[in-house]
Amino acid sequence: QDQAKKNTADKAVIEARRRLLQEWLAWRESMVRMLEEEGAVIELNGGKIPSEEDEGAEEIE
Amino acid sequence: MRPILLSGHERALTQVKYNPDGDIIFSVSKDHVVCAWFSHNGERLGTYHGHQGALWTVDVDPTSTLLATGGADNTMRLWEVKTGKLLKTWDFPTSIKRVEFSADGRQLLGVTEKRSGHLGTIVVYEIDPDPEAEQTDEQSLRIVCEDSKPTVAGFSYLAHYIISGHEDGTVSQWDAKSGELLYNAQVHEPDMLITDLQWAPDRTYFITASKDKTARISAADSLEVLKTYTTDTPLNSAAITPVKEYVILGGGQAAMDVTTTSARQGKFEARFYHKIFAEEIGRVRGHFGPLNYVAVHPQGTGYCSGGEDGYVRVHHFDKPYFDFLYEVEREQAQEQANL
Repeated sequence: QDQAKKNTADKAVIEARRRLLQEWLAWRESMVRMLEEEGAVIELNGGKIPSEEDEGAEEIE
Repeated sequence: MRPILLSGHERALTQVKYNPDGDIIFSVSKDHVVCAWFSHNGERLGTYHGHQGALWTVDVDPTSTLLATGGADNTMRLWEVKTGKLLKTWDFPTSIKRVEFSADGRQLLGVTEKRSGHLGTIVVYEIDPDPEAEQTDEQSLRIVCEDSKPTVAGFSYLAHYIISGHEDGTVSQWDAKSGELLYNAQVHEPDMLITDLQWAPDRTYFITASKDKTARISAADSLEVLKTYTTDTPLNSAAITPVKEYVILGGGQAAMDVTTTSARQGKFEARFYHKIFAEEIGRVRGHFGPLNYVAVHPQGTGYCSGGEDGYVRVHHFDKPYFDFLYEVEREQAQEQANL
Protein backbone atom coordinates (compact mmCIF):
# COMPACT_ATOMS: atom_id res chain seq x y z
CA GLN A 1 0.00 0.00 0.00
CA ASP A 2 2.89 2.35 0.88
CA GLN A 3 4.40 1.62 -2.49
CA ALA A 4 1.09 2.43 -4.19
CA LYS A 5 0.91 5.75 -2.32
CA LYS A 6 4.49 6.54 -3.30
CA ASN A 7 3.78 5.81 -6.94
CA THR A 8 0.79 8.16 -6.88
CA ALA A 9 2.92 10.87 -5.29
CA ASP A 10 5.69 10.39 -7.86
CA LYS A 11 3.12 10.59 -10.60
CA ALA A 12 1.79 13.87 -9.24
CA VAL A 13 5.33 15.32 -9.08
CA ILE A 14 6.03 14.27 -12.65
CA GLU A 15 2.70 15.70 -13.83
CA ALA A 16 3.53 19.01 -12.13
CA ARG A 17 6.95 19.12 -13.77
CA ARG A 18 5.47 18.31 -17.15
CA ARG A 19 3.06 21.22 -16.74
CA LEU A 20 5.86 23.62 -15.62
CA LEU A 21 7.98 22.62 -18.60
CA GLN A 22 5.12 23.12 -21.09
CA GLU A 23 4.24 26.51 -19.58
CA TRP A 24 7.84 27.65 -19.71
CA LEU A 25 8.43 26.50 -23.28
CA ALA A 26 5.19 28.15 -24.45
CA TRP A 27 6.16 31.45 -22.80
CA ARG A 28 9.67 31.29 -24.26
CA GLU A 29 8.23 30.69 -27.70
CA SER A 30 6.01 33.76 -27.36
CA MET A 31 9.06 35.83 -26.32
CA VAL A 32 11.09 34.64 -29.31
CA ARG A 33 8.18 35.53 -31.63
CA MET A 34 7.98 38.99 -30.03
CA LEU A 35 11.75 39.50 -30.54
CA GLU A 36 11.44 38.41 -34.17
CA GLU A 37 8.63 40.90 -34.75
CA GLU A 38 10.73 43.63 -33.13
CA GLY A 39 13.78 42.70 -35.20
CA ALA A 40 15.92 42.12 -32.12
CA VAL A 41 18.96 40.73 -33.94
CA ILE A 42 21.41 40.74 -31.01
CA GLU A 43 18.90 39.29 -28.56
CA LEU A 44 17.99 36.47 -30.96
CA ASN A 45 21.69 35.70 -31.35
CA GLY A 46 22.02 34.90 -27.64
CA GLY A 47 23.13 38.44 -26.74
CA LYS A 48 26.06 38.50 -29.18
CA ILE A 49 26.30 41.01 -32.00
CA PRO A 50 26.14 38.82 -35.13
CA SER A 51 29.47 38.96 -36.96
CA GLU A 52 29.78 38.99 -40.74
CA GLU A 53 31.06 35.42 -40.55
CA ASP A 54 27.83 34.39 -38.81
CA GLU A 55 25.78 36.01 -41.54
CA GLY A 56 27.91 34.30 -44.21
CA ALA A 57 27.30 30.95 -42.56
CA GLU A 58 23.56 31.54 -42.60
CA GLU A 59 23.57 32.27 -46.31
CA ILE A 60 25.30 28.97 -47.02
CA GLU A 61 22.46 27.18 -45.25
CA MET B 1 37.88 19.38 -13.85
CA ARG B 2 39.47 21.06 -10.85
CA PRO B 3 38.61 24.71 -10.40
CA ILE B 4 41.22 27.34 -11.17
CA LEU B 5 41.98 29.75 -8.36
CA LEU B 6 42.70 33.34 -9.38
CA SER B 7 44.73 34.85 -6.57
CA GLY B 8 45.78 38.34 -7.47
CA HIS B 9 43.44 40.46 -5.46
CA GLU B 10 44.27 41.55 -1.94
CA ARG B 11 40.74 42.17 -0.76
CA ALA B 12 37.16 40.99 -1.25
CA LEU B 13 35.90 40.58 -4.80
CA THR B 14 32.83 42.62 -5.66
CA GLN B 15 32.05 41.64 -9.27
CA VAL B 16 33.38 39.27 -11.93
CA LYS B 17 32.42 39.26 -15.61
CA TYR B 18 33.19 37.22 -18.71
CA ASN B 19 33.66 38.99 -22.02
CA PRO B 20 31.20 37.90 -24.77
CA ASP B 21 33.61 35.27 -26.17
CA GLY B 22 34.17 33.92 -22.68
CA ASP B 23 37.96 33.81 -23.02
CA ILE B 24 38.59 36.68 -20.61
CA ILE B 25 37.34 37.28 -17.06
CA PHE B 26 37.37 40.78 -15.57
CA SER B 27 37.35 41.12 -11.81
CA VAL B 28 37.01 44.07 -9.45
CA SER B 29 37.73 44.20 -5.76
CA LYS B 30 37.87 46.45 -2.75
CA ASP B 31 41.65 46.65 -3.41
CA HIS B 32 41.08 49.37 -6.10
CA VAL B 33 42.47 47.24 -8.95
CA VAL B 34 40.71 45.85 -12.03
CA CYS B 35 42.18 42.55 -13.26
CA ALA B 36 41.79 40.70 -16.56
CA TRP B 37 42.45 36.93 -16.71
CA PHE B 38 42.44 34.19 -19.32
CA SER B 39 39.49 32.04 -18.35
CA HIS B 40 40.98 28.75 -19.64
CA ASN B 41 44.12 28.74 -17.51
CA GLY B 42 43.75 31.59 -15.02
CA GLU B 43 46.77 33.50 -16.27
CA ARG B 44 46.53 37.19 -15.51
CA LEU B 45 46.78 39.21 -18.69
CA GLY B 46 46.55 42.69 -17.30
CA THR B 47 45.49 45.18 -14.68
CA TYR B 48 43.83 48.58 -14.95
CA HIS B 49 45.12 51.15 -12.47
CA GLY B 50 43.65 54.52 -11.62
CA HIS B 51 40.73 54.14 -9.25
CA GLN B 52 41.30 55.69 -5.83
CA GLY B 53 38.86 53.59 -3.83
CA ALA B 54 37.10 50.25 -3.53
CA LEU B 55 35.62 49.04 -6.80
CA TRP B 56 32.02 47.85 -6.84
CA THR B 57 31.31 47.06 -10.46
CA VAL B 58 32.64 46.20 -13.92
CA ASP B 59 31.19 45.51 -17.37
CA VAL B 60 32.64 44.92 -20.81
CA ASP B 61 31.07 46.02 -24.08
CA PRO B 62 29.82 43.43 -26.63
CA THR B 63 32.94 43.72 -28.81
CA SER B 64 35.39 43.40 -25.88
CA THR B 65 36.81 46.80 -26.80
CA LEU B 66 35.66 48.95 -23.89
CA LEU B 67 35.57 48.23 -20.18
CA ALA B 68 33.46 50.23 -17.71
CA THR B 69 34.11 50.35 -13.97
CA GLY B 70 32.69 52.17 -10.98
CA GLY B 71 33.54 52.50 -7.34
CA ALA B 72 33.81 54.27 -4.02
CA ASP B 73 35.99 57.07 -5.44
CA ASN B 74 32.77 58.50 -6.93
CA THR B 75 33.90 57.89 -10.50
CA MET B 76 32.70 55.81 -13.37
CA ARG B 77 35.52 55.07 -15.82
CA LEU B 78 35.89 53.77 -19.34
CA TRP B 79 39.00 51.82 -20.38
CA GLU B 80 40.37 50.35 -23.56
CA VAL B 81 40.45 46.60 -22.92
CA LYS B 82 43.48 45.86 -25.11
CA THR B 83 45.86 48.58 -23.90
CA GLY B 84 44.55 49.32 -20.41
CA LYS B 85 44.36 52.98 -21.36
CA LEU B 86 41.93 55.11 -19.35
CA LEU B 87 39.61 56.72 -21.91
CA LYS B 88 37.14 58.62 -19.77
CA THR B 89 36.32 59.49 -16.17
CA TRP B 90 32.86 60.65 -15.14
CA ASP B 91 32.66 62.24 -11.67
CA PHE B 92 29.71 61.97 -9.28
CA PRO B 93 28.86 63.19 -5.77
CA THR B 94 28.56 59.59 -4.48
CA SER B 95 29.92 56.15 -5.32
CA ILE B 96 28.96 54.05 -8.34
CA LYS B 97 27.37 50.75 -7.36
CA ARG B 98 26.65 49.25 -10.77
CA VAL B 99 27.59 49.82 -14.41
CA GLU B 100 26.11 48.01 -17.40
CA PHE B 101 26.23 48.31 -21.18
CA SER B 102 23.15 47.85 -23.35
CA ALA B 103 23.13 44.77 -25.61
CA ASP B 104 24.47 46.81 -28.56
CA GLY B 105 27.11 48.56 -26.45
CA ARG B 106 25.88 52.01 -27.51
CA GLN B 107 24.63 52.97 -24.04
CA LEU B 108 26.17 52.69 -20.61
CA LEU B 109 24.26 53.06 -17.38
CA GLY B 110 25.52 53.75 -13.89
CA VAL B 111 23.75 53.45 -10.55
CA THR B 112 24.85 56.11 -8.07
CA GLU B 113 24.69 55.59 -4.32
CA LYS B 114 22.24 57.44 -2.09
CA ARG B 115 24.17 59.31 0.59
CA SER B 116 24.33 62.58 2.58
CA GLY B 117 21.67 64.61 0.84
CA HIS B 118 22.00 62.86 -2.52
CA LEU B 119 19.25 60.57 -3.79
CA GLY B 120 20.19 57.42 -5.66
CA THR B 121 20.15 57.89 -9.42
CA ILE B 122 20.46 55.90 -12.61
CA VAL B 123 22.45 57.76 -15.26
CA VAL B 124 22.85 56.87 -18.93
CA TYR B 125 25.54 57.91 -21.43
CA GLU B 126 25.65 57.34 -25.18
CA ILE B 127 28.88 55.48 -25.93
CA ASP B 128 31.00 55.75 -29.06
CA PRO B 129 32.40 52.23 -29.58
CA ASP B 130 35.58 53.62 -31.16
CA PRO B 131 38.34 53.68 -28.50
CA GLU B 132 39.93 56.70 -30.25
CA ALA B 133 36.72 58.73 -29.98
CA GLU B 134 36.05 61.47 -27.47
CA GLN B 135 33.31 60.22 -25.11
CA THR B 136 30.51 62.52 -24.07
CA ASP B 137 30.16 64.33 -20.74
CA GLU B 138 26.46 64.68 -21.28
CA GLN B 139 23.98 62.29 -19.69
CA SER B 140 21.33 61.15 -22.16
CA LEU B 141 19.12 60.24 -19.21
CA ARG B 142 19.10 60.77 -15.46
CA ILE B 143 16.54 58.98 -13.32
CA VAL B 144 16.22 60.11 -9.70
CA CYS B 145 14.91 57.35 -7.44
CA GLU B 146 12.91 59.16 -4.80
CA ASP B 147 11.12 56.22 -3.22
CA SER B 148 13.77 53.62 -2.62
CA LYS B 149 17.51 53.50 -3.18
CA PRO B 150 18.46 51.61 -6.35
CA THR B 151 21.18 48.98 -5.89
CA VAL B 152 21.33 47.34 -9.33
CA ALA B 153 20.04 48.10 -12.83
CA GLY B 154 20.32 47.03 -16.44
CA PHE B 155 18.88 47.39 -19.95
CA SER B 156 16.18 45.03 -21.21
CA TYR B 157 15.95 43.64 -24.76
CA LEU B 158 16.38 46.38 -27.38
CA ALA B 159 17.04 48.78 -24.47
CA HIS B 160 13.28 49.32 -24.26
CA TYR B 161 13.35 49.40 -20.49
CA ILE B 162 15.76 50.04 -17.71
CA ILE B 163 15.01 47.61 -14.92
CA SER B 164 16.28 48.47 -11.44
CA GLY B 165 16.37 46.57 -8.15
CA HIS B 166 16.04 48.44 -4.89
CA GLU B 167 16.91 48.42 -1.22
CA ASP B 168 13.26 47.78 -0.27
CA GLY B 169 12.92 44.60 -2.34
CA THR B 170 11.05 46.23 -5.21
CA VAL B 171 11.89 46.16 -8.90
CA SER B 172 11.14 49.14 -11.15
CA GLN B 173 10.61 49.30 -14.87
CA TRP B 174 11.53 52.60 -16.55
CA ASP B 175 11.09 53.77 -20.11
CA ALA B 176 14.73 53.77 -21.23
CA LYS B 177 14.17 56.74 -23.56
CA SER B 178 12.04 59.09 -21.44
CA GLY B 179 13.02 57.88 -17.97
CA GLU B 180 9.37 57.62 -17.01
CA LEU B 181 8.54 55.11 -14.29
CA LEU B 182 6.24 52.57 -15.92
CA TYR B 183 5.81 50.02 -13.19
CA ASN B 184 7.03 49.03 -9.75
CA ALA B 185 6.63 45.57 -8.24
CA GLN B 186 7.38 44.09 -4.84
CA VAL B 187 9.40 41.20 -6.25
CA HIS B 188 11.24 40.33 -3.02
CA GLU B 189 10.26 40.52 0.65
CA PRO B 190 9.61 44.11 1.80
CA ASP B 191 12.74 45.91 3.04
CA MET B 192 15.02 43.12 1.87
CA LEU B 193 17.83 44.50 -0.27
CA ILE B 194 18.14 43.30 -3.86
CA THR B 195 21.81 42.47 -4.31
CA ASP B 196 22.04 41.43 -7.95
CA LEU B 197 20.20 41.52 -11.26
CA GLN B 198 21.42 39.46 -14.21
CA TRP B 199 19.81 38.92 -17.61
CA ALA B 200 18.88 35.91 -19.65
CA PRO B 201 20.87 35.94 -22.94
CA ASP B 202 17.96 37.53 -24.85
CA ARG B 203 17.12 40.00 -22.05
CA THR B 204 13.41 39.17 -22.00
CA TYR B 205 13.73 38.00 -18.41
CA PHE B 206 16.13 38.45 -15.52
CA ILE B 207 17.04 37.00 -12.17
CA THR B 208 17.34 38.99 -8.96
CA ALA B 209 19.07 37.89 -5.75
CA SER B 210 18.12 39.23 -2.35
CA LYS B 211 18.95 39.24 1.33
CA ASP B 212 15.52 37.58 1.75
CA LYS B 213 17.34 34.30 0.90
CA THR B 214 15.60 33.89 -2.44
CA ALA B 215 16.40 34.51 -6.07
CA ARG B 216 13.56 35.16 -8.49
CA ILE B 217 13.10 35.23 -12.23
CA SER B 218 10.80 37.97 -13.53
CA ALA B 219 9.63 38.92 -17.02
CA ALA B 220 11.11 42.19 -18.31
CA ASP B 221 7.88 43.49 -19.84
CA SER B 222 5.33 42.50 -17.16
CA LEU B 223 7.62 42.26 -14.06
CA GLU B 224 5.64 39.12 -13.25
CA VAL B 225 7.60 36.77 -11.00
CA LEU B 226 7.92 33.53 -12.96
CA LYS B 227 10.18 31.50 -10.66
CA THR B 228 11.32 31.59 -7.05
CA TYR B 229 14.41 29.79 -5.74
CA THR B 230 14.37 29.48 -1.96
CA THR B 231 17.60 28.97 -0.01
CA ASP B 232 18.69 29.13 3.63
CA THR B 233 21.17 31.97 3.34
CA PRO B 234 21.18 35.63 2.26
CA LEU B 235 22.05 35.83 -1.42
CA ASN B 236 24.50 38.22 -3.05
CA SER B 237 24.28 37.04 -6.64
CA ALA B 238 22.34 34.95 -9.13
CA ALA B 239 23.08 33.97 -12.72
CA ILE B 240 21.16 32.24 -15.52
CA THR B 241 23.05 29.57 -17.46
CA PRO B 242 22.75 29.34 -21.24
CA VAL B 243 22.58 25.85 -22.87
CA LYS B 244 21.27 24.13 -19.72
CA GLU B 245 18.16 25.24 -17.86
CA TYR B 246 19.88 26.06 -14.57
CA VAL B 247 20.48 29.04 -12.34
CA ILE B 248 23.50 29.51 -10.06
CA LEU B 249 23.11 31.31 -6.74
CA GLY B 250 25.82 32.64 -4.43
CA GLY B 251 25.78 34.18 -1.01
CA GLY B 252 26.42 33.29 2.61
CA GLN B 253 26.30 34.97 5.93
CA ALA B 254 29.21 37.40 6.43
CA ALA B 255 31.42 36.59 9.42
CA MET B 256 30.42 39.76 11.23
CA ASP B 257 26.75 38.82 10.96
CA VAL B 258 27.02 35.45 12.65
CA THR B 259 28.43 34.34 15.99
CA THR B 260 29.72 31.09 14.56
CA THR B 261 31.98 31.52 11.58
CA SER B 262 32.81 28.05 10.32
CA ALA B 263 32.65 27.67 6.56
CA ARG B 264 29.94 25.04 6.96
CA GLN B 265 27.65 27.33 8.91
CA GLY B 266 28.47 30.24 6.64
CA LYS B 267 27.12 28.21 3.70
CA PHE B 268 29.75 29.49 1.31
CA GLU B 269 28.66 27.38 -1.63
CA ALA B 270 27.49 28.05 -5.16
CA ARG B 271 24.04 26.48 -5.44
CA PHE B 272 22.64 25.09 -8.65
CA TYR B 273 18.87 25.02 -9.16
CA HIS B 274 16.86 23.81 -12.07
CA LYS B 275 15.58 26.98 -13.67
CA ILE B 276 12.13 25.66 -14.62
CA PHE B 277 11.39 23.28 -11.74
CA ALA B 278 13.05 25.51 -9.11
CA GLU B 279 14.55 22.50 -7.34
CA GLU B 280 18.09 22.44 -6.01
CA ILE B 281 20.28 20.03 -7.95
CA GLY B 282 23.78 20.59 -6.59
CA ARG B 283 26.28 22.67 -4.65
CA VAL B 284 29.90 23.59 -5.19
CA ARG B 285 32.09 24.36 -2.22
CA GLY B 286 35.42 26.12 -2.17
CA HIS B 287 35.25 29.67 -0.91
CA PHE B 288 35.85 30.36 2.75
CA GLY B 289 33.78 33.53 2.79
CA PRO B 290 30.49 34.59 1.22
CA LEU B 291 30.24 34.50 -2.56
CA ASN B 292 29.81 38.09 -3.64
CA TYR B 293 29.24 37.42 -7.33
CA VAL B 294 28.68 34.53 -9.71
CA ALA B 295 29.06 34.87 -13.49
CA VAL B 296 28.37 32.29 -16.19
CA HIS B 297 30.46 31.76 -19.32
CA PRO B 298 28.40 33.20 -22.22
CA GLN B 299 28.59 29.86 -24.06
CA GLY B 300 27.51 28.01 -20.94
CA THR B 301 30.72 26.00 -20.57
CA GLY B 302 31.60 27.11 -17.04
CA TYR B 303 31.21 29.73 -14.35
CA CYS B 304 33.27 31.77 -11.97
CA SER B 305 32.64 33.18 -8.52
CA GLY B 306 34.21 36.10 -6.69
CA GLY B 307 34.41 35.75 -2.92
CA GLU B 308 34.68 37.85 0.16
CA ASP B 309 37.83 35.72 0.75
CA GLY B 310 39.65 37.59 -2.05
CA TYR B 311 39.66 34.74 -4.57
CA VAL B 312 38.03 34.14 -7.91
CA ARG B 313 37.28 30.46 -8.56
CA VAL B 314 36.84 29.41 -12.19
CA HIS B 315 34.98 26.18 -12.93
CA HIS B 316 34.67 24.37 -16.23
CA PHE B 317 31.59 22.17 -16.40
CA ASP B 318 32.07 18.42 -16.79
CA LYS B 319 30.08 16.03 -18.94
CA PRO B 320 27.57 15.04 -16.19
CA TYR B 321 26.54 18.70 -15.96
CA PHE B 322 25.51 18.69 -19.61
CA ASP B 323 24.03 15.18 -19.55
CA PHE B 324 21.73 15.76 -16.59
CA LEU B 325 18.06 15.89 -17.60
CA TYR B 326 14.83 15.40 -15.72
CA GLU B 327 12.68 12.63 -17.09
CA VAL B 328 10.08 15.10 -18.40
CA GLU B 329 12.86 16.99 -20.21
CA ARG B 330 13.99 13.74 -21.81
CA GLU B 331 10.41 13.09 -22.90
CA GLN B 332 10.17 16.57 -24.38
CA ALA B 333 13.45 16.15 -26.26
CA GLN B 334 12.20 12.82 -27.61
CA GLU B 335 8.93 14.38 -28.79
CA GLN B 336 10.84 17.17 -30.50
CA ALA B 337 13.05 14.63 -32.23
CA ASN B 338 9.98 12.72 -33.47
CA LEU B 339 8.37 15.78 -35.04
